[in-house]
Amino acid sequence: MGKATNIKIEQIDEYRWRIPKDSRPGMRVDGIIYADEKLMSHIRGEQAAEQVANVATLPGIVGASLAMPDIHWGYGFCIGGVAAMDIEAGGVVSPGGVGYDINCGVRLLRSDLDVEQVRPQMKVLIDQLFRDIPCGVGVGGKFKFSDKELRKICLGGAKYLAEIDLADEDDLAATEAGGALSGADPDAVSPVAYRRGRDQCGTLGAGNHFVEVQSIEEIFDARAAEAMGLAVGKICVMIHSGSRGFGYQVCDDAIKSLRKAPEKFGIDLPDRQLVCAPVKSPEGRRYLGAMRSAANYAWANRQLLAHLARKALAHHFKASVESLGLRQVYDVAHNIAKIEMHEVDGKPRKLCVHRKGATRAFGPGNEELPERYRLIGQPVLIPGDMGTASYVLVGTAAAMRETFGSTCHGAGRVMSRKAAIRAAAGRRIDAELADAGIIARARGRSGLAEEQPDAYKDIHNVVDVVVSAGLARKVARLKPMGVIKG
Amino acid sequence: MTKHCRTFEHTADVGLEARADTLGELFEAMGEGLADVICPRQSVKKQKTLQIQVESENVESLLVDFLAELLGLFNLEKFLVAGVKVKRIDETSVAAEVTGETYDPARHELGDEIKAVTYHQLKVAREGDEWTGRVILDV
Repeated sequence: MGKATNIKIEQIDEYRWRIPKDSRPGMRVDGIIYADEKLMSHIRGEQAAEQVANVATLPGIVGASLAMPDIHWGYGFCIGGVAAMDIEAGGVVSPGGVGYDINCGVRLLRSDLDVEQVRPQMKVLIDQLFRDIPCGVGVGGKFKFSDKELRKICLGGAKYLAEIDLADEDDLAATEAGGALSGADPDAVSPVAYRRGRDQCGTLGAGNHFVEVQSIEEIFDARAAEAMGLAVGKICVMIHSGSRGFGYQVCDDAIKSLRKAPEKFGIDLPDRQLVCAPVKSPEGRRYLGAMRSAANYAWANRQLLAHLARKALAHHFKASVESLGLRQVYDVAHNIAKIEMHEVDGKPRKLCVHRKGATRAFGPGNEELPERYRLIGQPVLIPGDMGTASYVLVGTAAAMRETFGSTCHGAGRVMSRKAAIRAAAGRRIDAELADAGIIARARGRSGLAEEQPDAYKDIHNVVDVVVSAGLARKVARLKPMGVIKG
Repeated sequence: MTKHCRTFEHTADVGLEARADTLGELFEAMGEGLADVICPRQSVKKQKTLQIQVESENVESLLVDFLAELLGLFNLEKFLVAGVKVKRIDETSVAAEVTGETYDPARHELGDEIKAVTYHQLKVAREGDEWTGRVILDV
């Protein structure tokens, strides 16, 4: 693990900490970390807070360089960060502020299945999902797309899949941005990215990506839960994946092509991984065009994963997808940059909001939300580690004012992968999970060890902080029953 | 002639640190260190030899581009690396011979999925008699 931070951090209140803008040369705004004392003690032990300060030096940043309680040391930007740049004030877009896995995100399907009905069959059901959903490093999928079709995916995302009957209107309405960002530029995507993307749409990938069968353990907000079709004792399916090799390549290409941009635009960077260009520059526009293409690819990917999961459940229960009530609750991105209007110092400003390991959490009344969520706020899906719990939250008006409508994205790692493997030496993580009633299947050599529950912060703690700080409200807690991983 | 590469810990990612007598050996050590993260080299046979050539604007970017090229061999060609031999190198260009074989799921157990080679805390430097390098891989 890295060195402990020596940066100045002041406590604002029980859940907010400030890195004052005079802590480091070049900071344009303060850094603000959302955490309680317990989470803060870990955050101080690594260099994530320095990264929050580094991001505060980027041109056009407004409000503060924000970090959620699941913050951890990343490369360039920390994971769990939110940074909004004023476009008219020379604000920049940075590929490092989005990350390699562009539009990594979470999708939740609800069902009418009861936990008692499903639990005795979990092993067989998980095996079915493990067979039907391609996962693991370098594993190609069941769907192959030509470059021409991939360009349609770049432009149309999950919406394009509706044209070929792999998505319906209900799915699209329950997806951030309707499953496709406008302004994608397929010409800004390299031939190498297209090559990597051909057979990976509809694959889970490896690392922390998963498909999990969960039971609804507790409802905190009956009205919101009803709008989402969630009830205690019912089964949900959560999907966590992103834009696969297609998105990694788009990010890699962009960082390479922007290497000289800081010099060109006179931007002094504390870390080269923060390379960026003004949103309004040709370089900035080109990256945004490519990034939106990859974001749309990711929505198509999760749509296909949902399709495969629904088919697997329908096959297992010998019933139709409709009769199982496998409807989409929501799909939300947590690695993305979007152009949004937010109020800054009392005036509406057009901002480029970077969310890297942070989830959009729009409050009630937002026009992008489907009718059924307009009054309750946007569903926010927060996966925890595979042994503990996941949460469904909703966005709040306070999040709109304070964090550009953003909240945390998960539990956040505390243990490095090597440390997790060491901690798992001589243990059978799958057997430990089975003892706790959770069936886990993983493709990789060290997947379960690296992703073991102890490798993550306490999800209850992380969620309690964002809820106590007013950045989201709890709707439901979901308990893992079975999981497949790459 | 000595070269050595080890991985180091970074919360969600994996770092590579290497030292060697020459810049060429440093690149070999880094390349082989990366190959071990993709798939341990003891299981990879030296069946095929590929020539790679990379140019960049400075020695640090050259290391990132060189490692990205090796990672690309797996991502695009499913080629696993068993050995890296640098034929020619200066601070802005490198030519190397890479030996290995095509990935076979029956014989090869893959390690972590590496998304990219990053510029975060990147270092290539001459310290006294040896070259040292550090790079962080996004996993």
